[in-house]
Amino acid sequence: MSDKNTPFLTIDHITKWYPHNDGRIHLFRSREKRSWVKAVDDVSLTMNRGEVLGIIGESGCGKSTLGRILVRLESPTSGDVLLGGRSTAQMLREDRKAFRKRVQIVFQNPFDTFTPRDTIQKILMRPLRNYGIGASDEERLAMCREALEAGGLHPTDEILKRYPHELSGGQLQRISIIRSMFFKPDLIIADEPVSMLDVSVRADIINMLLDLAKKNNTAVIFISHDIALTRYISDHIAVMYLGRVVEYGRTDDVIAGPRHPYTRVLISHCADVDPDQARDSLPITGEPPTPINPGPGCYFAPRCFMACEGCRAAYPGRVELENGHYVCCSCIREE
Amino acid sequence: MEHLLDVRDLSITYLNKSRNVQAVRHASFTIDRGDSLGLVGESGSGKSTLAMGMLRILPENSIEMTGSALFMGKDLISISHEEMNRLRWKEIAVVFQKAMNALSPVHRIGTQIEDIYRVHEPRATKAEIHDRTMELLRMVNMPERVYRLYPHEMSGGMLQRVAIVISLLHSPKLLVFDEATTALDVVTQGQILEEVVAMEKTIEMTRIMITHDMSVVASSCRKVAVMYAGELVEIGMVRDVLKQPLHPYTQGLMSSFPSLKGEKKQLRAIPGFLPDLSDPPAGCAFASRCPHCTQQCLSQKPVLREMPDGRRVACHLVGGQKHE
Ligand SMILES: Nc1ncnc2c1ncn2[C@@H]1O[C@H](COP(=O)(O)OP(=O)(O)OP(=O)(O)O)[C@@H](O)[C@H]1O
Ligand SMILES: Nc1ncnc2c1ncn2[C@@H]1O[C@H](COP(=O)(O)OP(=O)(O)OP(=O)(O)O)[C@@H](O)[C@H]1O
Ligand SMILES: [Mg+2]
Ligand SMILES: [Mg+2]
Repeated sequence: MSDKNTPFLTIDHITKWYPHNDGRIHLFRSREKRSWVKAVDDVSLTMNRGEVLGIIGESGCGKSTLGRILVRLESPTSGDVLLGGRSTAQMLREDRKAFRKRVQIVFQNPFDTFTPRDTIQKILMRPLRNYGIGASDEERLAMCREALEAGGLHPTDEILKRYPHELSGGQLQRISIIRSMFFKPDLIIADEPVSMLDVSVRADIINMLLDLAKKNNTAVIFISHDIALTRYISDHIAVMYLGRVVEYGRTDDVIAGPRHPYTRVLISHCADVDPDQARDSLPITGEPPTPINPGPGCYFAPRCFMACEGCRAAYPGRVELENGHYVCCSCIREE
Repeated sequence: MEHLLDVRDLSITYLNKSRNVQAVRHASFTIDRGDSLGLVGESGSGKSTLAMGMLRILPENSIEMTGSALFMGKDLISISHEEMNRLRWKEIAVVFQKAMNALSPVHRIGTQIEDIYRVHEPRATKAEIHDRTMELLRMVNMPERVYRLYPHEMSGGMLQRVAIVISLLHSPKLLVFDEATTALDVVTQGQILEEVVAMEKTIEMTRIMITHDMSVVASSCRKVAVMYAGELVEIGMVRDVLKQPLHPYTQGLMSSFPSLKGEKKQLRAIPGFLPDLSDPPAGCAFASRCPHCTQQCLSQKPVLREMPDGRRVACHLVGGQKHE
């Protein structure tokens, strides 16, 4: 279907703008003059099968919006997403059901992921039936039990009978991940999938996800605020700020040698579990950021400790470093 | 000195058709004015249930609650609903784990904040509320435009921050954060916690911080309580407990943390799973997963005992003085 050089997933200049509601009526204003919330602003990334791409960044920088676009729950304002070289817009038009099976998302909020009126059994069995996974209901039920057991949800018979509101946040998150993995999809977007799980059960869930990536050659996009965890599981990391990717590279390069000032601030703020550990956090100052008509210069400049005059003139282009590591910052020179 | 909150022997059971789930069992702890307590524990161990039970927002016909929770001399478990409503948001404020869906989808954030503010200050002017809200929005690093947005126009972390703003509107005496910062990046989370800790000093606010993130406990709490399968198993100063955990569950928890530095080890879980809370074991709840389990652990339930450094641990293997 696709030759060796085409990456499995290509995110090609994706933007998503929402109209900004400032309380005034815009009937007579042209598109150019209206203001927009630039939730995702010209994002391009690629990844291969079997890889894990971590996405980190400030709250509100567009990670979930990008995730929803990748699975086509929303369409981009411009740009396209290609899977195996084919446009996902077209794939969805041709065969919606097949596309939905190939591409799964684990939502950030586990409390509104499931229909409140159905038991967990119904919630897990329905998609299996719909997509003809498993030969009989007995077999499907056995699959559900096995998956719950592997996710540490015990006793499984009891859990299957419960309704979503009768489970804790972390239990719902595990069910959400389990459901997405049933399909052995080609691409999983996991949006903060373990944010409510403590370390003692998180490892099992993460290892299940990594296992799937390896065995089934699934591409996994892992959106998280937990940078230490992201470091453990991803091959590459993309750092976003106000809708843009500001730094990208191999995980170790980005974590051990962050170059963009925002990435440096972010990593310097990661607290340790040792209460006596002193932290040298880099400063971040200024007004809260807003994605309404940012720029024209670097979006981070108003809060950046390194900012100089040049930063405010034009949005910086990519500066290529080693091993595909790049950073968008005017204060950094190519090596 | 009288404690701000004195929880004694609190048990909460969900009454279901087939089984009764004993989500919280005999929890006892106290917190003083201006203090901060991190509450950690495995997913499903009863942390949210404890918070929701104390705030009396669990459906009362489907739960059973025993014990007491004295807050400034009033027992939260037995006071009338009217009295509870007077305390809620004004004296005790909570950010629930479900905060991301707590807001009404059809009203603007600003309108909802005004409504909540007026419950306790019916005569407050729009300008007054607006000023207070703006001050708090700045504190949580959000732009003013949020006031005019609808919930669906906001990110997960923005919704959590609105919930934090609402909880702080009336400068409560007791603040409960239930996984209130899970959708925040470390920079924003750090800024907010710093502000909240500063408020604790100026207005003597007390905080219970339910979280799975030990680094949050390490950087923002003075004490920590560890919960396992509905029971408190270790409670003490953060400094002592995180540096030298004594309960085997706490030890397992601390040793499986991934780190930003050093080599990447295999992520490790604690093998096994939470016991069935509708039929909790007779002995120690952690026994089936404990690497040091003995015969006594299986048959006899350990009680919280006081250690020389003042912390309390429920484990047969660590000794200590029997409490009370
Ligand atoms: N339907 C919408 N209408 C208008 N603005 C929106 C809409 N959805 C999202 N936004 C805006 O887009 C921006 C990005 O939101 P998004 O949910 O993608 O952030 P995020 O990176 O996932 O943040 P978090 O880490 O807090 O979950 C935010 O400023 C948000 O207010
Ligand atoms: N309405 C209910 N009926 C029966 N069981 C329930 C109900 N609500 C919660 N439970 C169970 O009670 C236990 C405690 O739930 P709780 O939400 O308090 O856990 P938690 O410690 O907050 O977990 P998490 O960290 O995942 O949020 C869980 O095992 C859950 O399955
Ligand atoms: Mg999000
Ligand atoms: Mg909870």
